[in-house]
Amino acid sequence: MPLAINSATKALAELLVGGKEYIALMHVHKDFELDDLNKTLKQFTGVISQLPPVRSNVKRQYRDREIYYLDVLEIEGNDVLFKVGVQSGTYIRKLISDIGEKLGTGAHMIELRRTKVSTLSEKSGLVTLQDLDDAVYFYQNEKDDRLLKKCIQNIEDALDFMPKVIVSDEAVDTVAHGSPVAVPGITGFNHFDKGDRIFISTLKGELIAIGNAVMSSDELLSAKGGIAVKNDTVIMKTGLYPAYHRQNQT
Amino acid sequence: MRLPLEDKKFELYSIREEKTDGAFGAYPAERKIEQKIDFGFVLLDKPSGIRSKTAAATAKKILAPLGAKKIGYSGTLEA
Repeated sequence: MPLAINSATKALAELLVGGKEYIALMHVHKDFELDDLNKTLKQFTGVISQLPPVRSNVKRQYRDREIYYLDVLEIEGNDVLFKVGVQSGTYIRKLISDIGEKLGTGAHMIELRRTKVSTLSEKSGLVTLQDLDDAVYFYQNEKDDRLLKKCIQNIEDALDFMPKVIVSDEAVDTVAHGSPVAVPGITGFNHFDKGDRIFISTLKGELIAIGNAVMSSDELLSAKGGIAVKNDTVIMKTGLYPAYHRQNQT
Repeated sequence: MRLPLEDKKFELYSIREEKTDGAFGAYPAERKIEQKIDFGFVLLDKPSGIRSKTAAATAKKILAPLGAKKIGYSGTLEA
């Protein structure tokens, strides 16, 4: 479960748009042939149409969701353990009941564990509450920050899937104040389309803010001026970089 | 197996070479704890059986002496 601290909490919403991976345990209501199960599961990869469950936070109408992969890990009697990678907003309980219906046996979900969110997986350094408590103890009482540095990761690493726009030191503080990113302040960037969510970065790789691209990176290449990214989520505190007065302003 | 995002690779277009002043900010990999807390996240191995909300509140209590005033979590399981 990703926990974000202080202003990094504002970046959490960005993680939700990325895909997710789960390990789920499905109980099939009647005996089934392995062949039939495999055939059915195959039909539930790629783009599927799913009706959100009655109790959900979204409008109840069929919507397309992509299932990137679905692999059976273990079968024991009528219980099937599988790993599934899905587009954000896919309901796994519903997926399982739909699989059961297609298989002709009925099925329901017994257990679910999320193993990836965006590019974060269980492999990228899971810590328990006990680890965290120990790490804070060592830091405070023994002046040893090694454990704590491992426990607390940089929010930038969780957002490595976003295209970046890098701005010069002079532009950092104005962006931290909420100003949009103007073309002259940009020193480098990744490829992006108009409307994409952009990671606005310092030359050191620090996350200043997140916003929407108002031009594509191709347009930016030939632009002489104007606004490139409208920032709506500021992460960095103001004053970390010096404030340069905009002398050119008339 | 990999999610589509995991294979995303970005090429960097450089408009101009510019230096950054080491006196301001810090490279993420070199942040001290006091700096890290404002840009930090923790991948918590939540004990099963307790609510995400409870786990987040406990983590906040643990991190409070370091200046953590706010903890947010992304716990929607979409089950």
